[in-house]
Amino acid sequence: MDITEYIKLVFTDYTLRTITLGTAILGAVTGMLGSFAVLRKQSLLGDAISHAALPGIAIAFLITGAKDTNTLLIGALVSGLIGTFWIRGIITKTHLKSDTALGLILSLFFGFGMLLLTFIQKQPNANQAGLDKYLFGQAATLVESDVWLMAIVTGVCLLVLLLFWKEFKILLFDADYTKTLGFNTRFIDVLITSFIVLAIVLGLQTVGVVLMSAMLLAPAAAARQWTNSLSTMVFLAAIFGAFSGVFGTAISASQNNLSTGPVIVLVAAVFVVFSFIFSPSRGLLFKQIRFIKNRRDLELHKTLAFMYHIAETHENISHPHAIKLLNNFQGFTKKTLQKLVEKNYATIDGSMWSLTDLGFETAANLYTKQSTEDE
Amino acid sequence: MNSAQIEIQLIASLVAIACAIPGTFLVLRKMAMISDAISHSILPGIVIGFFITQDLNSPLLILLAAFTGIITVVLVEYIQKTGLVKEDTAIGLVFPALFSIGVILIAKNANDVHLDVDAVLLGELAFAPFDRLFIGGTDVGPKSLWIIGSILITTIGLLLAFFKELKLSTFDKGLAASLGFSPAIIHYGLMSVASVTTVGAFDAVGAILVVALMIAPAATAYLLTTDLKKMLGLAIGFGVLSAISGYWFAHWLDASIAGSITTMLGFIFLIVFLFAPSKGIIAVMYREKQQRTEVSLLTFLLHLKNHTEERERHVNHLQEHINWQKVRAKTVLDLALKNNMIVFNKNIVSLTEKGDTFTSKAIDYIITNEDAQIEDMKEDFFLFRG
Repeated sequence: MDITEYIKLVFTDYTLRTITLGTAILGAVTGMLGSFAVLRKQSLLGDAISHAALPGIAIAFLITGAKDTNTLLIGALVSGLIGTFWIRGIITKTHLKSDTALGLILSLFFGFGMLLLTFIQKQPNANQAGLDKYLFGQAATLVESDVWLMAIVTGVCLLVLLLFWKEFKILLFDADYTKTLGFNTRFIDVLITSFIVLAIVLGLQTVGVVLMSAMLLAPAAAARQWTNSLSTMVFLAAIFGAFSGVFGTAISASQNNLSTGPVIVLVAAVFVVFSFIFSPSRGLLFKQIRFIKNRRDLELHKTLAFMYHIAETHENISHPHAIKLLNNFQGFTKKTLQKLVEKNYATIDGSMWSLTDLGFETAANLYTKQSTEDE
Repeated sequence: MNSAQIEIQLIASLVAIACAIPGTFLVLRKMAMISDAISHSILPGIVIGFFITQDLNSPLLILLAAFTGIITVVLVEYIQKTGLVKEDTAIGLVFPALFSIGVILIAKNANDVHLDVDAVLLGELAFAPFDRLFIGGTDVGPKSLWIIGSILITTIGLLLAFFKELKLSTFDKGLAASLGFSPAIIHYGLMSVASVTTVGAFDAVGAILVVALMIAPAATAYLLTTDLKKMLGLAIGFGVLSAISGYWFAHWLDASIAGSITTMLGFIFLIVFLFAPSKGIIAVMYREKQQRTEVSLLTFLLHLKNHTEERERHVNHLQEHINWQKVRAKTVLDLALKNNMIVFNKNIVSLTEKGDTFTSKAIDYIITNEDAQIEDMKEDFFLFRG
């Protein structure tokens, strides 16, 4: 199936359209809120919350006995919130550290959820099959009403984000200052955390409990590499998230036996790796290039300084010396010598070099004042 | 109790002990989430190992999967070292990616692989006694019992051999390094033990329960003691207790044993979290309340000391001046009276000699601000605490 055909299919095929739209919206909202989680150093909170949501789903099913997506998600939301606030209680009231609290709640809630799920499976209720789709997610089960729910929640998220933008931003970067300004930090904190929980719960049906944390983190971590501005980062993260959703769905739809959740996560991971390597200001590639450049620069200066010390001993500074003289000195390469000539610091005549007036002057001032021009 | 039941409980208990030992150190080294990452990212290792060996219990598979665990740790540390993202984000990025690879590998080869993601994550302890090991035709017990038993013996051996080094490097990395114990070797050694334990146990109890068994008993024990040996002992105790009680709970409910053991762990943690003598929530809240009252008392006494004129020390004036609510004021006054710090004389409050000395010393404390002093002082002066 080629690409144009696939795109045509996305617009005509109901299932494919619903899934593509659903994963795109999901990616956008998780990317948006994930930016806050990453910047608040709460990356793993998402992992803990998504696992902690499982018993909520099971309990909601046990109470209602029906498999209505919305009630199950409300159960997940409640249990996710309980998990989150318990984690906070452990961190603030005891000497256990945050990693212990997260791992504890994550595994305990998940285990309890599994106990309930296996308990439900033994119940004589025909409805019970398919609850385990929340473990790994099944994008194929998305229907139009689910997408509407996602769209509405995303809209509310966006609204709240715009409304409280200033408060979120200031809390993110300087919590103490926010408090002194008289903002209710507790309220803002609870608000943003609740929305993160909400976004995670929304994704459970599509991506599942286990992989949901990656949906939250990966777009945000990728976006972080390209910018230092919060608004750009949130916007970029939403774009990355949406594209992970669309591409992931496309790849899994074009192959047999590929579940959507893991593919979306891998696409998001590719975005992260690409950003890590190729981001212009923080990326590893350009960092390495800058590093090599700086080293060359330093070597050039060292050569120039060495030449200066030789030329100094002569009355005529332009007196030619053999290039061989430079050989016992580490900083010298053919390229740096060439560069010195290009900059008109030195001239080369056969196997002899001599400093120009300009070169001599630059070398003399090399260590006394900072050179303003780079390179 | 039939022999299968005894075997299940034995396996569960051995897993609990094998997990509690590395778990204690992970919790103390603030690396608890690493165990979660390892437990997920061993999946591709298990799948690839399964392609090669076609046997879930082969030692090669365990080593291969444990190796993926180490790779996870190395990757996380590499990403963290680049400084592009924080450590927790690095963990959160690496393990879902590896886990996804594992899931896709299983899905793509669903026809050849009799391996289920659910089984890896959740395990099925109830089936463990059916997979038996035969040596020369004689039945010597369930395979997983042998696997986890040998892992446990190795872990205990390593623990006894390197206890001193582990203890030192956990609590004072700098000193350990300066004494010549390579932190890297101890770190990766611990990581290897954690990986091998996770892989060895996943077949029986599932990857998630391994995380619970590593973190929960250690965290619970940490709330009760600050002595490393006692903590290890308590963690093992809690692990075994929940393994056995969890088994019977699951038996009664007819549900997943792994889930039930985790639930028991959670229950024990909740009890300790609430009622631990000095670090439990109730003790902490009680202490906070006590300290609040005592600080109020101190403020009150300082006020009395500062004002010699009777007008300032009149009960009515004090009421408006300090502006405490009635209940609170009563608590503080009662405490002061009980401790013989103040006397009433026609509605005029004045300090006793003892109250005066206490207040002077308290001022000293506030100026020098030595934390330890005030508690000693309270011990000396108070007959009753707040």
